[in-house]
Amino acid sequence: MNPRRWLPLLCLAGGSVLLSCADIAAPSRSGAYEWRRIVATASGPDTLSFHWPQARLPVRFWAEDTLNLPVHVQQAIDQWQAAFLYGEFRGELVADSSIADVIVASGIAPKGGLSVTRLESLMAPECQGATDIELDASGHQILPPIRVYVDPRFDPAAPGVDACMALTTTHEVGHSLGIFAHSPNAEDIMFADPVVAELSPRDRATAELASHTEPTLTAAPR
Amino acid sequence: MRAPLTLLLTLAAGATALEAQVDYSARLGVTWATALVRDDIINEIEVRQKLAPTLVLGVALPIAPLYRAGLELALATSGYQSNEEGGTTVDLGTLRTGTITLGLDGPVSHGLRWRAGVGLLRYLPAEDQGIFLRGGTTRFLAGAGIDYRRPIMTKWDLMASLHYDFHRFTTDELEARGFSQSQGVQRIGVSIGLARGHR
Repeated sequence: MNPRRWLPLLCLAGGSVLLSCADIAAPSRSGAYEWRRIVATASGPDTLSFHWPQARLPVRFWAEDTLNLPVHVQQAIDQWQAAFLYGEFRGELVADSSIADVIVASGIAPKGGLSVTRLESLMAPECQGATDIELDASGHQILPPIRVYVDPRFDPAAPGVDACMALTTTHEVGHSLGIFAHSPNAEDIMFADPVVAELSPRDRATAELASHTEPTLTAAPR
Repeated sequence: MRAPLTLLLTLAAGATALEAQVDYSARLGVTWATALVRDDIINEIEVRQKLAPTLVLGVALPIAPLYRAGLELALATSGYQSNEEGGTTVDLGTLRTGTITLGLDGPVSHGLRWRAGVGLLRYLPAEDQGIFLRGGTTRFLAGAGIDYRRPIMTKWDLMASLHYDFHRFTTDELEARGFSQSQGVQRIGVSIGLARGHR
C-alpha cells in the first residue's frame, strides 16, 4: 500500500475536522418582556404562565364569520406560527365551535373569568379587544375554550377599522398562546395599545421563552 | 464531402472509445448527520435530520492510469426534528437534500479505492417553516470516502461505499433571527449498489 495514495484523503479529512468544529451562535433573547401574569392571592403573589403542550397541537381556532374575522384569525395564526423555529405552536381554523380551543367572536367581552387583557386602545381607537381565560376552582387549570373578543368601535367600513381588527386579533391570539402580559414597547404587537401589524423580534423572543418555560397552568381536555 | 464525413467518423469513434471508459454506478444507502442547529431557549435545543434513505448516482472517467475524475449526485429524504434537553421531541416535517459532488478517486489496495471531492448541497424542506421559513439553502461541501468493488459479472461490479462529508449550515431565517456563524455539519453515508465500467 503506497502511503502517497492516501495523502489527498488525509489532507481532506484533517481540513474537514478543523473546519467543522465550531457551532452556530444562538442570538440573545434578552429583549423579551415579561409575559407571565402575576395575581394576588391570600398567600401572596402567584405567577401564572401557560403554553399549549405539543399533545394539544394544532390549537383549534373558531372564528365568527363576520367582520372578516376568519381572515384575521388565519393571519394571526400564520404570524404566530412563523414566530417559532422549532414547531412550538401550530394552529388551525375549525368550522365547529364545539371542538375549538379558542373561540374568536365579535363584540365586547361579556363576562369575567380571568380576563387576561381588556384592550382599551388609545393609539388605535378604531377597535378594541379582550381575551377571557376561565380557570377551574384550583386556579391552575384553564377551561377551554379561551374566548377572544374583537369589536369595532365605529362603522366597520370606516377607514382603519379593518386594519385595527387585524392587528388586535393578532394581539389577542398572542394572549391565547400564553403571553398573558403586555409589552412596555409600542413597537410590539403585544403592547397594550398595539399599533403595529407585525410581530417584532421582541414579540418573537417572548413567545419563544414562554413556550419553553415550564407552565404553571395546564389546559383541561376539550 | 470527405472531410466532414471523416470528422464525423472520428468523433463517433472517439465517443465510442470514451464511452467504453466511462464508469457508471448506482447505489442505495442511508445517511446520518450531526445537528443542523444548536440553540438555547431556557434549555438546549438541537435540530437534527433523521437517518435518511439515499440514492447515489455516479459517473467517472479515467484521467490518469490510476485515477478517475467523477461526478456524483446524491438524493436523500427523511424527517427532521427538534430535540429539547429534558426529552421533548418535535417532528418538523420532511427534509430532502440534493448533493452534487465533483471528485477524484484512486486505488488503495485490492478492490478498495479512496475518493475525495467538493460540491454543493441543497436543502429542500417540504414546507417553508421554522428554520426554513425563508426557504431552503445551498451550502458548499467537501467529502471523502472509501469504495469497495467486487466483480460479479463481466462488466458489472458490486459496489459498497462508506462516505464522509462536511459543510457549514445556516439558513436565511436563522441569519434574520440573529444567529451568527454557522453550524458545522458532518454526515456519514453507507451505500451499496452496482457499478458498470471498464476494468
